Amino acid sequence: MIAKTSSFYDWVYDWVDERLGVSDLAAFARKKTVPVHAQSFWYYWGGISLFLFVVQCFTGVLLLVYYRPGADSFESVRQITYVMHFGWLIRSAHSWSANLMMFSILVHMFSVYFMKAYRKPRELGWLSGMALLGIASVFGFSGYLLPMDELSYFATKVGLEIPVAIPFVGSAIANFLRGGPDVTEFTVQRFFALHVVVLPALFLPLLGFHLWLVQKHGNAMPPSEEAKPASERKTMPFMPNFLRKDIAMWLISLNVLALLASVFPWQLGKQYDALAPAPLGIHPEWYFMSPFEMLKMLGTVLPGAVGEIAGILLFTLGIALWILIPFYDSSRDSGRRGRNAHCFGLVAVILLLATTAIGYWTVR
Amino acid sequence: MNYPFWDIPRLGSGWVIGLIAIFHVMISQFAVGGGFYLPLAERKAQRMKDAKLRADWMDQLAKHSKFFLVLTAVFGTVSGVGIWFAIGLTHPEATSTLIHNFVFGWAMEWVFFLVELTTIAVYYYTWNRVDEKLHLKVGWVYAGASVATLVIINGILAFMLTPGDTWIGVAGTGHEASKFWNAFFNPTYWPSLLLRTCVCASLAGIWALITASRIDGEKHPELKTSKVQWSVKWLVPSFVAMPFLMMWYYAMVPASQKALLTLGIDTINSGTFSTVTRMALIIIVTSATIIGVAYFLAYRNPRDFNLAHAMAVLLLALMATGAGEYSREMLRKPYVIGRWMYSNGVRVPYVERINREGYLAHSQWVWKGAGSNGTASNYSRGEAIFRGECGSCHTLKGYRPLADMLAGRDRSNIQNFVMMLHENKPDSPYRKFMPPMTGTQQDVDDLTDFLNAQVNPVSTPGSKAVLTAQR
Repeated sequence: MIAKTSSFYDWVYDWVDERLGVSDLAAFARKKTVPVHAQSFWYYWGGISLFLFVVQCFTGVLLLVYYRPGADSFESVRQITYVMHFGWLIRSAHSWSANLMMFSILVHMFSVYFMKAYRKPRELGWLSGMALLGIASVFGFSGYLLPMDELSYFATKVGLEIPVAIPFVGSAIANFLRGGPDVTEFTVQRFFALHVVVLPALFLPLLGFHLWLVQKHGNAMPPSEEAKPASERKTMPFMPNFLRKDIAMWLISLNVLALLASVFPWQLGKQYDALAPAPLGIHPEWYFMSPFEMLKMLGTVLPGAVGEIAGILLFTLGIALWILIPFYDSSRDSGRRGRNAHCFGLVAVILLLATTAIGYWTVR
Repeated sequence: MNYPFWDIPRLGSGWVIGLIAIFHVMISQFAVGGGFYLPLAERKAQRMKDAKLRADWMDQLAKHSKFFLVLTAVFGTVSGVGIWFAIGLTHPEATSTLIHNFVFGWAMEWVFFLVELTTIAVYYYTWNRVDEKLHLKVGWVYAGASVATLVIINGILAFMLTPGDTWIGVAGTGHEASKFWNAFFNPTYWPSLLLRTCVCASLAGIWALITASRIDGEKHPELKTSKVQWSVKWLVPSFVAMPFLMMWYYAMVPASQKALLTLGIDTINSGTFSTVTRMALIIIVTSATIIGVAYFLAYRNPRDFNLAHAMAVLLLALMATGAGEYSREMLRKPYVIGRWMYSNGVRVPYVERINREGYLAHSQWVWKGAGSNGTASNYSRGEAIFRGECGSCHTLKGYRPLADMLAGRDRSNIQNFVMMLHENKPDSPYRKFMPPMTGTQQDVDDLTDFLNAQVNPVSTPGSKAVLTAQR
């Protein structure tokens, strides 16, 4: 009986292997190793981001079953939150995992930055990662509006006024995004299409590319590890050791998510009323707080249109420098450039944390 | 109302019990499960043929028993006494009822405590000093005593949810203690006992993983592998039996309380009304994760199992235990003792009398001085009523904050709300969770005045007349 079962499995394995080449993949996975050192902890954050993205897809599809964009959007989210069985849980999990995903992507980005994992030959990994972060933040911005409650309506309204500052084409861009001069149900319709069709269509292939690059080049070692002779470096096999730890991290993330979604279920505000005054303390989501605050501060220093344009220019320049860092600090022999990049990273972290803190402080 | 009201701003008095109790349960249930773990592990070691492994196991067990002694005999006992202090201050009426009913139960429990504390000390200090068989016997005496404490306290805890018809029949007659055994072996006694037994076994395994994780896997591979794997097996009873025991427990819970559990399936409306469901979800997720992590990280990969992993499992167990105890407490709402005493200490049959005579009629604890001639002002009466009737579950600003919950309402709106709680009509959604607001129309007005002064401070100038207790 046992022999029979195993021969059946062998037959299935051979059948699949002949057609898909699974054994090559398994051989590759067996050979793959992950460096072990004091900073290994930071390797998990890419995996955590990926896991949370999967949660996003799963809960997002479930929300699609009941969500109705357009004039009905608030009512449908109300039904999901207060009427459908476990609808509140799916919605809470979707919103919380979105926030946790943004957080873990940021941690992942900064850990990659400070481990200098963007250096040759990993430049494309860095660039694709930055593009993924960009798309993820558009996911966040577009998803935020979908319930059309008071807060999401006014926050989106404020957010969509930022591009207006761009000279010449600003208003046209803003109108295009809004589907008119105001945020209306047409905006929701647009954002919905963006959120569930356009962005996934861009994100998924790019994510595939990003993951393929990670497999191709393996995990980068931080400079302190690279300095050691090869005999002193430790590694662990990816299969099963690292994968097992990765799964444990996913389980922990799932628990954190379950805890947040259950103890602090995502609330739904009042239905938006375009004629009502904006409620006090309107502010963007935390991951947009820093740019929002920086623009606001520049606006105080340089009042009027000049300040807005200068703000946007400065901001674009900062992001461009950040994205292009692999071409400035390109290899382990970069020396002085490497140290400069490190300082630039520290300044970015401090600026991000400080402006976010000031943002929340002044909003109250 | 024969007692002063203990006000804990922001946190709320309920959480004082909650925080101490969750900490205590984590340790006390370990004390019970670990009570069996130690002699069983020692017996296993004694039967080992490999002399080195045997010596290593014994050595490691001695270390584990030191950890066990410190944790249970110091932190377990101190937090246990802490619970007595906390419940006596926050729920004097309920504590009094329980003592009147179960005084002999507790007397027995304390005897077993003494045996427990003595034997665990003897067990630890006689490692390698007395005959092996005698040492093992001491371990078994400890195990017996510790399980006896669970057998007793479980009866009292289960009683608070389901006192049973027989006891309810004599409640208030002065002959409650005559139905001691009916109250003790109440409808949820057995499922609750078995559930807790499973939890005890799991906690014994989980805490043992903490000490086992610290064994150096490279120096002592065999010891670490066998110790970690054997400890993980202690989670198996929970894994197998827990779902069935949960269903049994659920079946024995009264329909009115079951409704609380299902309420949160389709809504998060009104926050607290659906917390039981949400907490139950956390128990399921964390328990499932513990099993997964214990199997994949510990059982399949024992040599690499380190302290951080063990702490993660312990933290998950803390979350599961916390959520479990919290849901058990919430499931009792609106009572502290099912069908007999509301969660604010008002006995169910006394409601009519209080409505007739006034909530503060028999209270010695009303502040005086704000009114003329040293009489109680509306405001201070209102505050006393707030502390007595609302304070068990609410704070003004903090946990379940009334100032926030009532924000946006004017005085008449607040009064309507208090009136709705006072009338406690059968179709009121609050009835499932909250006790009625008891008292006369004057009491309703005084409470309204006090709450209104908190929610709309400008509208009642000079209202902050008396805030300190003056008798």
